[in-house]
Amino acid sequence: MGVKTDSPKEVRPEVADKKVLGLSKDSWIYTFLGLGFVLTTLDFLMAFLVSPLVLGAKVSGVRVIGGAIVQNQLLFSQKIFYFHVPVALGSFLVFFFTAFYGVRFLMTKDKIYDTKAKIATEVTLLFVILTLITGDLWTRFEWGQWWVWEPRLTTYFIMTLLVIAYFVLRNSIEDEERRATYAAVFGIVAFLDAPISFAITRMIPSSVHPVVLRSGGGLLPTQLIPFLSGLFGMLMIAWVIYQVRLKEEVLRERVEAVKAALEDDLTADAPTFTSFAKPETPGQS
Amino acid sequence: MSAAAVQQRRAGRGLSWRQFKAILRKDIVMELRTKEMVTSMGIYAMLTLVIYQVALSQSGAAFDPRRIAAGLLWLAFVFTSMLGLNRSFVHEKDQGCLEALLLSPVDRPVIFLAKAIGNLLFLLIVEIIMIPFFSFLFLQQGSYQGEFWMIPLSLLGGSIGIAGVGTMLATMSVNTKGKDFVLAVLFIPLMYPLLLACVSATTAGVLGGDGHIQQFWTGMAAIGAYDAIMIAAAWALYEFILGA
Amino acid sequence: MDPVLAEIYRTVFDAAPYVIAAYGLLWVGLGGYVFFVLHRLSGVEREIAVLEESVARRS
Repeated sequence: MGVKTDSPKEVRPEVADKKVLGLSKDSWIYTFLGLGFVLTTLDFLMAFLVSPLVLGAKVSGVRVIGGAIVQNQLLFSQKIFYFHVPVALGSFLVFFFTAFYGVRFLMTKDKIYDTKAKIATEVTLLFVILTLITGDLWTRFEWGQWWVWEPRLTTYFIMTLLVIAYFVLRNSIEDEERRATYAAVFGIVAFLDAPISFAITRMIPSSVHPVVLRSGGGLLPTQLIPFLSGLFGMLMIAWVIYQVRLKEEVLRERVEAVKAALEDDLTADAPTFTSFAKPETPGQS
Repeated sequence: MSAAAVQQRRAGRGLSWRQFKAILRKDIVMELRTKEMVTSMGIYAMLTLVIYQVALSQSGAAFDPRRIAAGLLWLAFVFTSMLGLNRSFVHEKDQGCLEALLLSPVDRPVIFLAKAIGNLLFLLIVEIIMIPFFSFLFLQQGSYQGEFWMIPLSLLGGSIGIAGVGTMLATMSVNTKGKDFVLAVLFIPLMYPLLLACVSATTAGVLGGDGHIQQFWTGMAAIGAYDAIMIAAAWALYEFILGA
Repeated sequence: MDPVLAEIYRTVFDAAPYVIAAYGLLWVGLGGYVFFVLHRLSGVEREIAVLEESVARRS
C-alpha cells in the first residue's frame, strides 16, 4: 500500500501575490481571522459590560443598584463562562476532526488526511491547554486551590495527556505510512476515550472532592449572545489556524521536494524543479 | 505457528475458531516452557509491594491501609500489565512470529482476540497470586467487612479492558523507537477512566459499608461500558495496525 | 462603605484578578498562536522565494 500524494494543483505556491506575513493580502483567511477576532472581542466586551452578574447567596439586606433591587451577592467569577465554555466546546469539536480525518485516512490511505489530522490535533492541544488554564483560574478562586480533581478539569487534563501522547507516538515512528496509520488509530481511540473519561469521572463518586453540578438553566439573550459569538469567533480562529498550518505543511513538503531535486540537479536536470520554476496552469499549455 | 499453518488448509466452518485456538495455544505452550511472562510479571509485582511498604512506612499506626488497598492493587496491576504487554509483543517481534502470522491467511480480528485472551490469562494468573500476598503483607490488622465476591468480579472486568486495549496499544508501541516508554504514554491516559471505575468497584468490595452495593454496580457499569466501547474500537482498528 | 453593598460585591473584587487573568491568558494564547503560525508560513514562503531565485539563476 503506497501513500498517495495529493494532486499538484493544490500545492502550487502562489508566489506572485503580495504578501502580509506569508498570506496574500486579500486572502479569505484574513477575512475569517478578522471576523474571529471581532466576534471574540464582542464576546469579551459584552461579557463584562452587558451581561448581568449572576446572583449568588442572599445578603442580609436589600439595595438598589442601577434601578434594580439586589438582595443577593453578585458573582463575578461566573464571567469566565463566556470564555471558558466556548474554548472547551471548541477543543472538543476540533478533536472530533482528529478522529474524523483519522477515519478518512484509514479509508483512503491518502497522506493529506494524515496531515489534516495532525494539524487538527495541534489546534486541539492549544485549545485544551487554554481550557485547562482558564478552568484552573476559576478553580483557584472558587475553591481556593490551584488544582482540584473535579470531573471537568480531570477530563481536560487527561485529554491534554492523550493529545501529547498522540505527538509522542508520531515522533517515535520513522516510517511515514506506519506513523500515519498508528496516529489515525490512536486519534480515533483517544477521541472515544475523552467522553468516556468525562462520564466516568462524574459517575464515580470521589471521596476527595464533591462533584460540582452547575445547573444549565435558561440563558438570557444578553448571556447567550456573547457566549455564541465567543464560540463562533473561537471556532473561526481555530479554522484559520488549521488552514494556515495546512498551507504551511503542504508548502513545506513542496520545498523539500524542490530541495531534493536541486541537489539531484548538480549532476542532471531534474524535471520536477524545472516544472516548479514555471508552473503550468491548466489551460495555458 | 505450524499448527496455524496446518489448520489453515482445512477450510469450512469453525476455521476462525481453530485459528484462534492455535494462536492462543502457541502463547500458552511457550509460556509453559519458558515461564517467562508470569515470573517476570510476578516478580515485578512483588517489587512493587516492597515500594508500597516504603511509601506507607511513615503513615503511622492510625492509618488504615484498607482504604487505599484497591488503589494500591490496581496500581501494581497497571504497571505489571504494561510490562507483560510489552514483553508479549517484543517476543513476537524478535522471533519474527508476528510477521509469520501476518503472512498466514489468518483473519486479523482472530489474531487480536487470541493475543488479547492470552494477555488476559497471564494478567489474571498474576493477579490471583498477588491478592493473597498483598493481603498477607498489608491487610492483617482489622477484620474484613466487605463482600468478597465483588473483588474477583471487578478484577476480571478491569483486566478485560486492560488486556483488550493494551493488546492494541502494545502492537503499536512495539513498532516504535520508544517501545515501553511509548506504551506507558499511550496506555495510562487511555486507561484512566477504566482504572477509576475499577478502584471504586474494588474498594466497595474491600471496605463494604454504606451504599457499597450501589458503588460497586456503578463501577461495574462504568467498567462494562468502557470495555464494550474500547474493545470494539480496538478490535475494529487492529486490522489497520497490523497492515501498516 | 455600606455593609450590605460590601456584602453584595464581596466576591467581585476577589474574583476579578483571576477572571481577568484567565481572559488575558486566553487572548495571549490564541493571538500568540495565530501570529506564530502566520510567521511560520511566511518563513516557508521566504524559503520558496530563495529557492525560486536559485532555480532561475541555474536555468
